[in-house]
Amino acid sequence: MIALAVVPVVVATLLIGARGVAAMRTTSDFLVASRRISPTFNAAAVSGEYLSAASFLGVAGLVVKGGVGALWYPVGFTAGYLLMLTLVAAPLRRTGALTVPDFAEARLGSATLRRLCAVIVLVIGCLYLVPQFTAAGHVLTLVSGTPYWVGVVVAGAAVSVTLALGGMRAATYVQAFQFVLKLVLFIVPAVWLLVAVGPQVRGEALNPVEFTQFPRDTVVDFTVDTRLSLAEPVTVRIDGEPPVTLPPGQHTAAAGERWEFPAGAAVPRVDGAEVPGSTRWERPLLDAGPTADGSDGHALLATGSVLMATALGTMGLPHILIRFHTSPDGRSARRTAAITVGLLGAFYLFPGVYGLLGAVLLPELYLSGATDTVVVALPSRVDPGWQGDLFTALLTAGAFAAFLATSLGLLLAVSGAVAHDLIPATLRRLRLTSLAAATVVVLLALPAAQVDVGALVTSAFAVAASTFCPLLVLGIWWRRLTAQGAQVGMLVGLVSSAGVMAAGLVAGLEPGVPALLLAQPALWSVPLAFATMVAVSLRGEPPSGATSAMLRLHLDESRPVPTRSRS
Amino acid sequence: MTGRPSGRAPRRVAVTSPQTRIALAGRRGPPVRAPRLTADELERAERVRGRQLSRAITALLAVAAFLVGVPVLLDLFPQLDDVRLLGIPVSWLAVAVLPWPVLTGLAWWQLRRAENVENADDATAAGGAP
Repeated sequence: MIALAVVPVVVATLLIGARGVAAMRTTSDFLVASRRISPTFNAAAVSGEYLSAASFLGVAGLVVKGGVGALWYPVGFTAGYLLMLTLVAAPLRRTGALTVPDFAEARLGSATLRRLCAVIVLVIGCLYLVPQFTAAGHVLTLVSGTPYWVGVVVAGAAVSVTLALGGMRAATYVQAFQFVLKLVLFIVPAVWLLVAVGPQVRGEALNPVEFTQFPRDTVVDFTVDTRLSLAEPVTVRIDGEPPVTLPPGQHTAAAGERWEFPAGAAVPRVDGAEVPGSTRWERPLLDAGPTADGSDGHALLATGSVLMATALGTMGLPHILIRFHTSPDGRSARRTAAITVGLLGAFYLFPGVYGLLGAVLLPELYLSGATDTVVVALPSRVDPGWQGDLFTALLTAGAFAAFLATSLGLLLAVSGAVAHDLIPATLRRLRLTSLAAATVVVLLALPAAQVDVGALVTSAFAVAASTFCPLLVLGIWWRRLTAQGAQVGMLVGLVSSAGVMAAGLVAGLEPGVPALLLAQPALWSVPLAFATMVAVSLRGEPPSGATSAMLRLHLDESRPVPTRSRS
Repeated sequence: MTGRPSGRAPRRVAVTSPQTRIALAGRRGPPVRAPRLTADELERAERVRGRQLSRAITALLAVAAFLVGVPVLLDLFPQLDDVRLLGIPVSWLAVAVLPWPVLTGLAWWQLRRAENVENADDATAAGGAP
């Protein structure tokens, strides 16, 4: 029943999308909605596009799993707009380029560079899109019991039909509408939860107690194979079989198993996650996960990596950059970025509320790893009656709005990269490409059920920070940048971010500094990409007219230079 | 210069912004170089860029000081976890609440400064030109 809450969201998205069709004429219309959008409206659309499942569900989930320090993620997400405002918003808008690949070609005049940029757009798009679709599957599984793939397919169908019907003009209305929707659907349930849980739970949330004993009979559904360590014998019913007593030591819960723990049983520990309410969980810094010897988790290094990736990665996200081109000129693009910082700040006051309440009321999610569902699962835990159902439905609708909004923008960027940069496109082909791209992402998301939304999205930020961020910053501010320098620098950035993260997954190191630097490489991969770009550029000659091409970006086009009269 | 007597109606030409020309060129064949700027425009762009760059660097330093400073303080002073304001640990407020007004304030401040550079330059160019 509750799953029906997604229906109005999808229908409204489709209707608003369909409105744009009549006005759709050219590829440029499709991509940037003819550039007639006010800064405030555009900032709402940017925020609507940006607040994905990672923000709506992922941050609260990471708080339950990793501790209060996970609240640094949204700080980085928001600081990204401040950097964008400072460094790229206005000049980038003045290039008139529609996408990063366009910018690269307009500024440096290299078609090879353009294609490399398009490939990077595809990498970032996939890393960002797949977790959106998996989150859709999980939320629908939780609220309705439908299989995981149903949610993924429903999300994919809704997104690609909207895009094919309306494109960006539609997407701008959709995104602004979705921002307001998400803000309301996130804040109202949070306030209700805070009131409904009562003073005792509120107190517990602020004075967390380590989750060592199950306070009540608890059912845990494992969706992936999970290694648990027991310090003392625990009696547990697995899949409704008669209770068995497990001896202390390592045990594995297989995917699909349902374990029932009696009240008072000792809570097993899970590798790689902080126990909710523990001292380390309470520290407001990220860390590299509990180390075997219990030593310090390198909190500053871990926090710094995440902040570096999220703050610098924002300016390289292809679906966000294209949004700034819907501003009429550089100044309003800059204003859009500034207003966005404020709008995001209002939203990000609340993930912490869900995270802290979740750690008190649903700490068992830490065992199954399904912490991404904590936001949607909270209301029925607090109130099993109709009120709980109502707020679960509202949050489900909001979460679905979050996948739709972000996925729309990302699919547009991905299909733009394929149809606009890799192959010259007509409007018809651009529409077909977005359908094809959605299908590919759905197929990728189906086997990826166990990924953490927040973690995978952060890897997309790391790739963006290591490739597009140096290209944009140097391209806008440094006249000596050469096409070759940009190319080599971005390749180095791509390998040292995406390549190294993949290698880290394969290597599976024990927690520690090396594992941290492989899993979250931004702290060194971004400076490396910048340094490579500068070093290679200095060895070559910038293209003729580079100075003029760069200076043009700083010329305020809305106020033409007054011609000096000789009289 | 065109050889036509002055006073006749000028020839009509299609007007597109340079940006549009470049954007269209990307899809219609080899890229067209951006039109050269006039000497005046170059001079002004150079001036504006210099001022914007120095202001951007100050703003970046401010953001960096905040994003590096707060985690370092929280790491150095773990006792902040036990200081409470309205029952909430101060160290939690430092990550959950404090960043929003600070980032919004910095954004507003930098927006004003960046726009002032352009406005001030317009004023000089319009009023101060010989």
